[in-house]
Amino acid sequence: MKPVHPISHLPIGDVLRKARLIVACGSGGVGKTTTSAALALQAAMAGRRVLVLTIDPAQRLLQALGLKPGQDGAPPHLPNTPLEVLPRLADQLPQPLPPGGSLHAMMLDASVAAEQMVDRLLGDAANRQRVVQNRVYRAFLPTLAASPEYFALELIYTLRERGQFDLMVLDTPPMHNAIDLLHASNTLSSFINDRVLKWFSKIPLPGEKRGFSILGAGNSMAMSVLGRLFGQDALPDIAQFFAAFQDVLPKLRDRTQATDRMLRAPDTRFLIVTAPGETCLREARHLHAELTEQAMPFAGFVVNRVLVAAQPPPDATQVPEVVRALQAAGLSPERAADAANEVLESAQDLQRLADADAHHVHALQHLAGSERVCAVVVQRDGDIHTIAELASLGAEIADSGAVPNPGSDLAPP
Amino acid sequence: MTTSTLPLTPTEDPDKNVEALLRRELLLVTGKGGVGKSTVAAILARAAAAQGKKVLLVEFESVSRVAPLFGTHAIGPEPRQVAPHIWAQSLTAMDSLRYFAIRQLKVPALVHLALRNKAVEGFFRASPAVRPALFLYQLWTTVEEHGPQGDHHWNLVICDLPTSGFVAGMYAIPNMLSGVFRTGPLVTYADGMRALLRDPARTGLTLVTLPEDMPVVETLELRATLLERHGVEAAAVVLNAVMPRSHDADVLDALDRAADTQPDLLDPWQLTAERIANRRAKALSAARRLRETLPPGRLLTLPWRFERELNLQAIDELAHDLRKGVA
Repeated sequence: MKPVHPISHLPIGDVLRKARLIVACGSGGVGKTTTSAALALQAAMAGRRVLVLTIDPAQRLLQALGLKPGQDGAPPHLPNTPLEVLPRLADQLPQPLPPGGSLHAMMLDASVAAEQMVDRLLGDAANRQRVVQNRVYRAFLPTLAASPEYFALELIYTLRERGQFDLMVLDTPPMHNAIDLLHASNTLSSFINDRVLKWFSKIPLPGEKRGFSILGAGNSMAMSVLGRLFGQDALPDIAQFFAAFQDVLPKLRDRTQATDRMLRAPDTRFLIVTAPGETCLREARHLHAELTEQAMPFAGFVVNRVLVAAQPPPDATQVPEVVRALQAAGLSPERAADAANEVLESAQDLQRLADADAHHVHALQHLAGSERVCAVVVQRDGDIHTIAELASLGAEIADSGAVPNPGSDLAPP
Repeated sequence: MTTSTLPLTPTEDPDKNVEALLRRELLLVTGKGGVGKSTVAAILARAAAAQGKKVLLVEFESVSRVAPLFGTHAIGPEPRQVAPHIWAQSLTAMDSLRYFAIRQLKVPALVHLALRNKAVEGFFRASPAVRPALFLYQLWTTVEEHGPQGDHHWNLVICDLPTSGFVAGMYAIPNMLSGVFRTGPLVTYADGMRALLRDPARTGLTLVTLPEDMPVVETLELRATLLERHGVEAAAVVLNAVMPRSHDADVLDALDRAADTQPDLLDPWQLTAERIANRRAKALSAARRLRETLPPGRLLTLPWRFERELNLQAIDELAHDLRKGVA
């Protein structure tokens, strides 16, 4: 289908050719995962080595790539390491894959990633042993999966250092977490920073005979606060947990600073994926404001599921003619008249939705301005199930509003 | 256009099911993004308010989606009345931390100290488990103290939860707390929270979904996970956006044939009818799939509406439809 709202915008193809990291963010249920996969495929078909990384434990990415879980040699779940999708499925593409082009996909398992990070940080075996047995650590580690943003960045940073991929596309969790992504590095380093560690390191460790008297007055006050919040019993474990991280603090800080720089790098681009509707529009605006405030490299919007009414729209003046045609096709006169009026009503109802969608697209185009992408994707009848459908979706996004823009500020890779 | 209701099975009585939902103390409304969780939360709130119940609607860590439905924008950490008998509250993790600190420490100087201490703040901010834990604590105390067993300030607390992952995390909190702390205040709280969450007479888990492949699969997965790990069965699954009409097969066939001879005139008519019929067919197949897995009578439906923004009148119409099984 043709783009319905052509406007002079930066074509997304430019971003796909030059960016090294694309972060797809947006509220839930707007098609982020499928869009990420379509963009990654589009870049692979332009000859780049691409990885699409999802944090969503659901099967959507696997499905969108045309892989049937557990069938035809596909794994039951996307693995925690890059899985080669192309050239494996390349024979199903509308055109041959150019030399050099490849597509990998993976799903981040945050609890594995968290464990790996802890292992890497706590190189010393004795230290690691202590941490692994710590109650606080054991209780909190599995729940890290609930907030996997930091580990995704860590992983992308590591893969980037290895230079295996030209482009990585990150499919983020829904919106409030996408904002967390921007704060992920800061949050982690503020959690485990010098002052916090020093402070906790004064708490007696299990088995240690040491009173709280060595703490300053303010600190012993704070200690009693923590005791009242968590119970005195838990304090030594909390202390030990922090103590274990004390030596690795500089390493951790370097790392978080590096991932933060990566998010702001000249070849990183944030795309906001959204859909029509007041709620989505409001949340896209909110996210846009947040990205702008954080001075993140915002590339534009992808507006999914835009309803386009049948053209030309069915019209009341056509009813007599339609009734005649339906009678000629075998319906009784009454049946034909009822049918024509009912379909007309449906058409008018859908047209109202299409008008509302056009209005929302316009608002986003305005917000994006002509220097950014604002790709419009027409509502489809079903989910994407094959890589050929994914390729056609990618082409639709890439063609939407594609007007050459020589003034792109994107740094060459 | 023939049907306007989804055929009900003999065990289904949506009105009774909604009644039973509204008799609970806490309703947790959840589902994937974009399925209409907030709409369902608002519908249930209006339905309860119509019975004269005092309702508190709670949102956590999101731009308020409930507020615009009630024609307001400013909702904060303190409950604010948004409609007759309905109050709304939007919480962040820091709001819940403050709430927890005030109740635990009581002395304002200590609260101030705790919230300003970098170590304490860092601990709360960075640990992912802490956010659902604090939120659950606030929810639990609100229900215990102001619900039917407390001072009756609220008859029903309805919670619009951010994502399905968050819900799974929230159900895991009591065991996590008991595991880490073993004794002390948090263990006592964990017992109370667990009792509330697992009592089907007090808490109703309401899953919202859409008539599409992935949302249905994911809803059934979430339901299975919660059942298996925590023994909690969904009180209701709401299938939202069910196309309430269809065009009959003979009409579709006639349009098809007519479009072959007069494509310029009839293609748009045929496309329109086909779209509507496809949506209806997808809704029927989603309903069938959900019924196959869920215990009898748990499925509720809401009709698709030809509008992108809902107002209070639309919410009330939907509340009526939910009870009558109109979809």
